[in-house]
Amino acid sequence: MAEEGQVISCHTVEAWEEQLQKGNESKKLMVIDFTASWCGPCRFIAPFLSELAKKLPHVTFLKVDVDELKSVAADWAVEAMPTFMFVKEGNIVDKVVGAKKDELQQTVTKHMAAA
Amino acid sequence: MSVSGFEGFEKRLELHFSGDDPIRNIGMGLRLLEFESLDKVLHAVQCTVVSAVGNHYFDAYVLSESSLFVYPTKIIIKTCGTTQLLKSIRPLLSYANRMGFYPDGCKYTRGSFIFPHSQPFPHTSFKEEVLYIESSLPTSLAYRKASIMPSKISTSHSWHVFTASNHDIHHQCHDPLPSLRYSPLSSSASYTIEICMTELDEAVAQKFFRQPEDGKSGHSAGREMTKMTGIQAINQNAVICDFAFDPCGYSMNGMDDDKYSTIHVTPEEGYSYASFECVVSMNDDRDDDDVVELLKKAVQVFRPGTLSLAISCTGGFHHDVWPRIVSGVKPLGLKCMSCTMDDFPAAGTVLFQTFSSRRNRAGWPGGQEGGR
Repeated sequence: MAEEGQVISCHTVEAWEEQLQKGNESKKLMVIDFTASWCGPCRFIAPFLSELAKKLPHVTFLKVDVDELKSVAADWAVEAMPTFMFVKEGNIVDKVVGAKKDELQQTVTKHMAAA
Repeated sequence: MSVSGFEGFEKRLELHFSGDDPIRNIGMGLRLLEFESLDKVLHAVQCTVVSAVGNHYFDAYVLSESSLFVYPTKIIIKTCGTTQLLKSIRPLLSYANRMGFYPDGCKYTRGSFIFPHSQPFPHTSFKEEVLYIESSLPTSLAYRKASIMPSKISTSHSWHVFTASNHDIHHQCHDPLPSLRYSPLSSSASYTIEICMTELDEAVAQKFFRQPEDGKSGHSAGREMTKMTGIQAINQNAVICDFAFDPCGYSMNGMDDDKYSTIHVTPEEGYSYASFECVVSMNDDRDDDDVVELLKKAVQVFRPGTLSLAISCTGGFHHDVWPRIVSGVKPLGLKCMSCTMDDFPAAGTVLFQTFSSRRNRAGWPGGQEGGR
């Protein structure tokens, strides 16, 4: 199943852990969007995020709903939405809080360039 | 004095809603409005979303010309420049209506425009604005009041207020005492503070200009400004969304649980302006301390020549809150030029004061720069 070029939604803790594991092993940059269905700013940025995912198939884009995966959101200390976490080889390398198109684009570019 | 420049003074609109079904759980209410609809409203006002963030209580949007806050049953839009803010009313009411929400209160406020002749219809005069708003509101909002609260600074820094409600002033207060002004404060209430500052200290204003070709996004340049100017320190608990405009100008929204704060800066000399608005929870003993602390922080950051303060509260104020504010800010070199209070449907009591800094006052001994 071609998951490249799409934002992958994680609906269970198992699916989430599986994706994280996969990403760490692949050494790809992972961008995790912590989102909520009732949050307007998340709806504002969703199309932009999908476009980014399409343009950058070598970056893994994951989506976590803070209500569905409350424990994960709490573990990652998510206070405001959307929060974008940037993970590479098991480490959090950056974070963007808020729906900020330019900043999101620049941060992805910055971290995907590194070998 | 410039012939014309960017208008920093904002127009602010606040709409309150209730659901048509008393049994249905409101849940996230208006926050569920589709972005496409919100975008259409903003398009009518001629502004766009620059950045946005939300928490469990509300959504906050930084716009190309100020800010938008969406709560489940309340919307606040604040826009500057020559935007036609009032054009948002009809579409907003229409979208809310489709979701099963009806307006029960409306409040429109603004200071005095620095360049009133540059404003488009209906912002050409307060009278025109009031007529326009009235024609956009349903007749159920039957209790209405419009007033210009004066300052003693010629025609500048007056406070224009229009409010409408579906119930009378005397029934909205939780406390049964007849005089709103002297009613005891309810611990669940809060008040909204709007500070407008002009003639910003030049050294401070310079900090809100971008460095040419800095290669940064407006968001990261904005974050630097927030730190460098001391704005970050105003509320360390707040999640901040900030933005630096090119070549100059700055906006930020803060979220602290259910309380928003917002700062907008127009730094150009000749018409420099900064606004600081936030919500303060009422605390029986310390309300005026909180207000004085906030004023102190605003003055320390911006060092304005002139400042106006409008506080609005549905629960009424302690009878001596205003003289305590006046004495609280004296050490900052601020002299109170005017003070007035009035009651409005929906908004409750509005207290309006204007202050002039030491360096602006003729005949003040010393005559030094800045309100240090």
